[in-house]
Amino acid sequence: MRRASTLVVLSAAFCLAIAGTFIFAYRAGRHAHLLRWENEPIRPWMSVPFIAHTHHVPANVLYSAIGLEPRPHDRRPLRAIARERDRPVGELIRNLEQALASAGHVHPAPESPGGRSP
Amino acid sequence: MREQLLAALSQYGSPVLFGVTAVAAIGLPLPVTLLLVVTGSLVAQGVIPLWVAIAAASAGAISGDQIGYIVGRWGGTALLARFSGALGGAGKLAAAEAHARRWGGPGVFFTRWLATPLGSVINLSSGIAEYPWIRFVLWDVLGEVLGAVIYILLGRVFSDRVLALNDLLSNFTWAMVALLVALWLGWKLWGLRRSTRPLP
Repeated sequence: MRRASTLVVLSAAFCLAIAGTFIFAYRAGRHAHLLRWENEPIRPWMSVPFIAHTHHVPANVLYSAIGLEPRPHDRRPLRAIARERDRPVGELIRNLEQALASAGHVHPAPESPGGRSP
Repeated sequence: MREQLLAALSQYGSPVLFGVTAVAAIGLPLPVTLLLVVTGSLVAQGVIPLWVAIAAASAGAISGDQIGYIVGRWGGTALLARFSGALGGAGKLAAAEAHARRWGGPGVFFTRWLATPLGSVINLSSGIAEYPWIRFVLWDVLGEVLGAVIYILLGRVFSDRVLALNDLLSNFTWAMVALLVALWLGWKLWGLRRSTRPLP
């Protein structure tokens, strides 16, 4: 009797694990497809040179969009720049998105499908 | 938390990478894969040298793994001795320890870079099973350096797609974990079926 219930529990767990394998593999495949086509969204942790690199635009275009002089080796995240300039970080991101759009870069939808880090 | 860690990595570089990988190896659920691929992007941008990034990530993770192993070896053994009755008796525990010693090396190696969510549990269980420390360090160093090289180089290659790459790698890692669990359960089910089959 005990062995039969163990068999049922193990079989159910086995089916769940197989289902999980296929679901995560499918999601990985979907993200692999997006990897080729989707532009990176702008996040408050990114620095201006980082955003310029991911969107393939010169950094000075983005600096001028938020009213700053370009700085060599600038690693400040947008959040820190917003705090220094006493401006909402969302406003800086909107300005950068507009600059990217006028430079010919279409920004992606804000939500990408799928989960986050384990 | 994730945003703050990424901002700190972007601003301060390898010391942050070292700290985060060490704390995550102890068992805190931090987004290490994302930090490694962002580091790869910073390497591609010339912000951090490649060898410094790999050394910081590997050294941090190896240090955290040692702490997990030590906690398991000294704290875990005392706890097990106290609760061995509830866990099936000393005989079952001895069998589990023998199993962990036999499969410990590959278990340590593959959870460093492939089935990463299981890494901190394997550190503890290796300590509890008194898996030889020298062998643990050897497999640990091999696995952690390989993991750092893989994720940082992927981030370097896809340096303009780090968020999408992280989503891909996270789902791939969980698929691997689910597959390992399915294989283990399948093996258990096979054993159970064979033992319940009536004799001819």
